[in-house]
Amino acid sequence: MSGEGSSQDPGAPRHIEVPAPTPWPMITALGITLLFAGLLTSAAVSVVGFALIIAGGAGWFGEVFPQPRVERAEVQTEAVEIAPTRLPVAQLASAEQGNRAVLPLEIYPYWAGVKGGIAGGFAMAALAVAEGLLVHHSPWYTINILAGTAMPGLAHASTAALCAFNAQAFVVALMIHAVVSVLVGLLYGVLLPIVPRNPIFFGGLVAPLLWSGLLFATLKVINPLLDARIEWGWFISCQIGFGVTAGLVVSRSERIHTFQHLPFAMRMGIEAPGIRPTGER
Amino acid sequence: MASAALSTIAPPVAEKWELPARGRVGIAALILTETAFFSIFVIAYIFYIGKSLTPPYPRDVLTPPVVNTICLLSSSLTVMFAVRALRKGNTFVFAVYWLTTIALGLEFLIGTAVEWHRLIYHDHFTISTNLFGTTFYSLVGLHALHVTAGLLMLIIVMLLTVGGHVNSRYAEHTEILSWYWHFVDAVWVVVFTTVYVIGR
Amino acid sequence: MATEIALGELQSTAPLPMLGRLHEWVITVDHKRLGLMYIGGGLLFFVIAGLQALTMRLQLAVPDNHVVSPQVFNRLMTMHGTAMVFLVGMPILTGFFNYLVPLMIGARDLAFPRLNSFGFWLWFFGALLLYFSYIGGDGLYGAGSAPDVGWFAYAPLTERAFSRGNSTDYWILSILLTSVGSTATAINIIATTFSLRCRGMTLGKMPVLVWLAVVVAFMMLLALPPLSAAQVMLLLDRYLGAHFFDTQAGGSAILWQHFFWIFGHPEVYILVIPVFAFASEIIPVFSRKVIFGYQVMVAASCAIAFISMGVWAHHMFAVGLTPAGNAFFATSTMLVAVPTGIKIFNWIGTMWGGKLRFRVPMLFSLGFLFQFLVAGLTGIMLGVAPFDWQLTDTYFVVAHFHYVLVGAIVFMIFAAIYYWFPKATGRMLNERLGQWHFWLFLVGFHLTFDPLHFAGLHGMPRRIYTYQPGRGLEGINLIASIGALVQALAVLIFVVNVGYSLAGGEEAGPDPWDAWTLEWSTTSPPPEYNYAKEPEVHSRRPLWDLKHPEDPDWLYE
Repeated sequence: MSGEGSSQDPGAPRHIEVPAPTPWPMITALGITLLFAGLLTSAAVSVVGFALIIAGGAGWFGEVFPQPRVERAEVQTEAVEIAPTRLPVAQLASAEQGNRAVLPLEIYPYWAGVKGGIAGGFAMAALAVAEGLLVHHSPWYTINILAGTAMPGLAHASTAALCAFNAQAFVVALMIHAVVSVLVGLLYGVLLPIVPRNPIFFGGLVAPLLWSGLLFATLKVINPLLDARIEWGWFISCQIGFGVTAGLVVSRSERIHTFQHLPFAMRMGIEAPGIRPTGER
Repeated sequence: MASAALSTIAPPVAEKWELPARGRVGIAALILTETAFFSIFVIAYIFYIGKSLTPPYPRDVLTPPVVNTICLLSSSLTVMFAVRALRKGNTFVFAVYWLTTIALGLEFLIGTAVEWHRLIYHDHFTISTNLFGTTFYSLVGLHALHVTAGLLMLIIVMLLTVGGHVNSRYAEHTEILSWYWHFVDAVWVVVFTTVYVIGR
Repeated sequence: MATEIALGELQSTAPLPMLGRLHEWVITVDHKRLGLMYIGGGLLFFVIAGLQALTMRLQLAVPDNHVVSPQVFNRLMTMHGTAMVFLVGMPILTGFFNYLVPLMIGARDLAFPRLNSFGFWLWFFGALLLYFSYIGGDGLYGAGSAPDVGWFAYAPLTERAFSRGNSTDYWILSILLTSVGSTATAINIIATTFSLRCRGMTLGKMPVLVWLAVVVAFMMLLALPPLSAAQVMLLLDRYLGAHFFDTQAGGSAILWQHFFWIFGHPEVYILVIPVFAFASEIIPVFSRKVIFGYQVMVAASCAIAFISMGVWAHHMFAVGLTPAGNAFFATSTMLVAVPTGIKIFNWIGTMWGGKLRFRVPMLFSLGFLFQFLVAGLTGIMLGVAPFDWQLTDTYFVVAHFHYVLVGAIVFMIFAAIYYWFPKATGRMLNERLGQWHFWLFLVGFHLTFDPLHFAGLHGMPRRIYTYQPGRGLEGINLIASIGALVQALAVLIFVVNVGYSLAGGEEAGPDPWDAWTLEWSTTSPPPEYNYAKEPEVHSRRPLWDLKHPEDPDWLYE
């Protein structure tokens, strides 16, 4: 099909053989279509279609036998510049190998996220208890509401019952609060280094507002009784309290270098001759 | 590649560069899609086994076409020998085996025609009789259609051979055609098992 | 760093008379011309089927409307669906593969150029046959015109007894033709990528687009035959009195549904994986970074292809399968979300930390990314069997799959057109008109399809030709119809842009985007033989290696 002679010549050849244009495949296709169309119209159409298939098939065979018919396309050489067509972009100062770096260059260690989560959890708890004291004059109110996400019975309880101490609810709320705080803290530890700028703004304000909005939009449908109990202003300030505290703690921790660009064997600390990153020169 | 990269940035020397022949890949792809096509008809056949509301039932009218089956399956061997002979440049042996293959294929088609004639005129059993008729005629007929198409191509090659146009240069082409013929045979094994063994 | 490369004689020949040039296109076997013919034909039917959709939206704009009769509405909806899948999606995407795969692997043409031409013409005549039904559909019984049985043509309702006349036969035969054409293309693409790759291009060094083209080709080989087989069965039923789908003779009423969706669900992925391929080429170039996780990207696509073959019955939850069946298909449906999620994360990973350039192709890619995410999420919702029982055959489903087909696929097709138009024509599409096109289309899309989710949740069934006032559906439908008009305006701008840029667009040069795959190393448009000298590659980004000889990619792969 394509010019076999061309590959032997190291330079560009003068002519290149390309498959010759042919109408026969189209005529065969038309024949098949008419053959089918005869089923819908009249047998005569099918007869014409069949004749076209025979003619097209024979013509097609003539194209490829004994040798596929080719055409010589003339080659005109002209230099095609292969070069970057735009101005070079600024290089990463810390990219050790020219254009290449495995990002992020630095990350927070996992324990920074855990610490941030714990600190944020305390800040949030303080704000939530303050809400209970100021709005319902009882520190237990918000704790019971949190437990209500896992204990359906509490959703139907009266305000008075929610203001009273409930040992079971307290344990449940404590567990939910601790687990979620640490998990979100871990997430912060992972996410904050990849936020382009102002990690405190993102972690402290944007992210809490996003999930508060999500919860505000869906809780009416998921759990309307619980929804009716929530003071959204206080809720959001609790979330922001968590976000700012956790964000501050995480971003103040010391960053460590990533070693993703090193081969697996080197990261594992195996020392043997020949284990060097392929890019090092 | 790692070893070449250590000291120089000249591109590594390419090793031997061989790719499969396009004809073989193409026919394999065609066989794959045809397999999927037949599978649906086989599934329909098996799904409708025993669901016919009215007679005749398979046991009443079907007898396994043993001679047909032997002919068709042995034609796979003869076509293989034919291609092998052509590769060695022995056009006469090729022609003999090729003609044998055509004869065996024709026997299969005629055998099927005789069977259908008996079913239609003796047993009054047609495609619209019941679900069994529907699935039987469509599955066996579809296979027979493929045998017919294969036979037509075999006959064209035979005519070219008689005309003296076929030599060892076309061994690859006949090989590819033989793959299709093997596929048609393999489908018959499945159809035979479905219709005359499981379905009966 | 300059490379000697050839420039074809295309420009040097004197312009032929109109008829001569047309003849040249008709008898061509060149993969580039056939690819452009596929895309051009697909865009033509995109406009036709789009106008049909617009007519339906006008009918539904206000309650108790009388723009079209119920019968005409049914035909519109059937032809719109069938055409958008088989006459728009399939040809445009196979057209792109036709054009790009040989260029990207450094080949001179597809493996079987004449078969390629045969496939195109089968598709084209099949498409004409489908629309000819508007004239010829009366058939022997004088009943009906165009097909009115819905794009999935559920048997036994498409049997002779319920669908008189020839309209359904038009649907069967024309789609059968286009399927055979698509199968020919699939065989061609597989043979081309396995047999014609240039020196050095191992499977692991192929561009992601080529990988996904192979995956899609395999899916076509396996998924189209079930539809063709079922259509042959239906033809036998209708013409020879067979009983495949005849419940009176003991035939099954849901066998067709199984066969259709064994085809139909993979078909969704046959349409969407090519646009994944476009995204995987466009996003890295406009982020100035390599694709994130090449191997995982390819593996995830293979996983999607594999899993998508085993999820078909989630279209049939409302039929009443066994509980085990429901559980299996709900689970497998959820499973598709895993590799799909991996791909979305990889695209985001590609963009993250990159130097983004918000040109029109990138804008459409970003639209695709967000809309495809939403489409995937509603897909998971519908994959939950009880949820599906509630919302099956409502506008929620319509909104969901239009989010996939328009929000993801059409957006990404536009991105691909803006990206490769310079390569195919030598001229850039106008950037300002492109921005108008993108923003109007984005606004129009969301105006139309966001409210339709809620129409579905409010219980509006799909395929109704009108509705009564006072059911809370008026506002939603009016907004959706206005959105459809905005989309139409955007498409009009696109058409104008193509004409304007073809006539006097900015000269593109061989490599306007500073890209990295092989097709940008030849002239725009490429000569008939693509490459005068067969290229040799050493990495996944051969042009990067040429542009940065001091820091080539193959040191790191």
